[in-house]
Amino acid sequence: MKSFVSDESLNAFVDGEFDVAEEESLMARMRDDPDLAERVGTLRSLQSMVRLAYAEPPGTGSGASEIVPRRPLMQRCAFGCLILLVGLSGGWVLRSLEAQSSAASPRGHSSLGGYQSVSLAREADPNRVMLHIDSAQPEKMQAVLDQAERFLDEAEKQGRSMQLEVIANSHGLDLLRSGISPYSDRIERMKKRHASLQFVACGQSIARFTHEGQKVILLPSAQAAPTAIGEIITRLQQGWTYVRV
Amino acid sequence: MTMITRFLMGPSRPGIEALRPVLYRIAYAWCHDPALADDLVQETQTKAWIRRAQLRETAALKAWMVTIMHHCWLDYLRGSRDFDDIDAWQDTLESAEQNPEVCCDRKQVITCVRAAVARLPRGQRQVLTLVDLEEFGYAEVAGILDVPVGTVMSRLSRARAALKTMLDAAAQQTAVSPVLRRVK
Repeated sequence: MKSFVSDESLNAFVDGEFDVAEEESLMARMRDDPDLAERVGTLRSLQSMVRLAYAEPPGTGSGASEIVPRRPLMQRCAFGCLILLVGLSGGWVLRSLEAQSSAASPRGHSSLGGYQSVSLAREADPNRVMLHIDSAQPEKMQAVLDQAERFLDEAEKQGRSMQLEVIANSHGLDLLRSGISPYSDRIERMKKRHASLQFVACGQSIARFTHEGQKVILLPSAQAAPTAIGEIITRLQQGWTYVRV
Repeated sequence: MTMITRFLMGPSRPGIEALRPVLYRIAYAWCHDPALADDLVQETQTKAWIRRAQLRETAALKAWMVTIMHHCWLDYLRGSRDFDDIDAWQDTLESAEQNPEVCCDRKQVITCVRAAVARLPRGQRQVLTLVDLEEFGYAEVAGILDVPVGTVMSRLSRARAALKTMLDAAAQQTAVSPVLRRVK
């Protein structure tokens, strides 16, 4: 049973080339085999690094200001009319739809673990979640860690492979500061237990604290992003679900 | 009537133009030269527009255009004198004379990863970027590059392994004076 999984198969798993049965059996093996889980984690992080590296390729200067070919006037008018018509009828249909759905569900946002969550995808993705903390209140800090553990445990129980990111900015940065965070041991423990858990600190907040004369040293398991907002937006565009604690 | 057939025959011009950022990102990841990437995209869009009637399914527009771009790039590489074959690349890869720079900050990670990707052999780089950046399936990539699926898998696996080695080496370079060292 403990046969070696080839790199090719692991890559295929990470890229979603496995079918459901294969995925489940590999995920079951990952639970017993920490080395295997770590190999998958490495491949995932390589993948996200490549994505990040080319998210904004440098422009050429000439930009998109190419010569736009002119369409015949008649065609444009026809297009315009068509779009207007579609818009009007669409609006009418949506109006009645909305009336129906608002009667059915009183809330627009979905809720995940009791908190309001936002996702750009039609359905909140339970496997890719970021938790945002911007306050230094001890109960909020505890809540964010509790919530993270709850999500990860639940995913583990259901056999899903989940990616979770805890993003801290403003006063929430204290959570990730070495020597200041009341939960440094717990964070290290969590990080050790869940390979797919990331702690991200806002670079701007770090710069601000430093400017105010405080030396910011992050916990070894935390990493810095240029800005928390940038990180959140990138993740949202990638289909992640955002939860503000 | 001509208008109707034109709409039915192939992708619309806005459809082709809308793919510009996607194509540019792939082209840049392939050649790491903004000007060349721009040229490739331009040429691809022109060719796609001329041959728009050849496209059978509109759903496959992106893969079809990337295929065209792949051929454009191969043409360019054949035309230019400094055509690199994979063996030569393998040598530079192992010589490791200029390592990707220090990795600690996001911006540096970006530079670092780009440098590492640029040093991958061409075939591996193409497979890696198509799978990672545009989430093409293995079968689609095999179709675009006209290689068997097995080759796609082995190239991808080698590309990620090489990338990891290069990035680890770069990360170790930064940690010249680590406060804590892992003994394991």
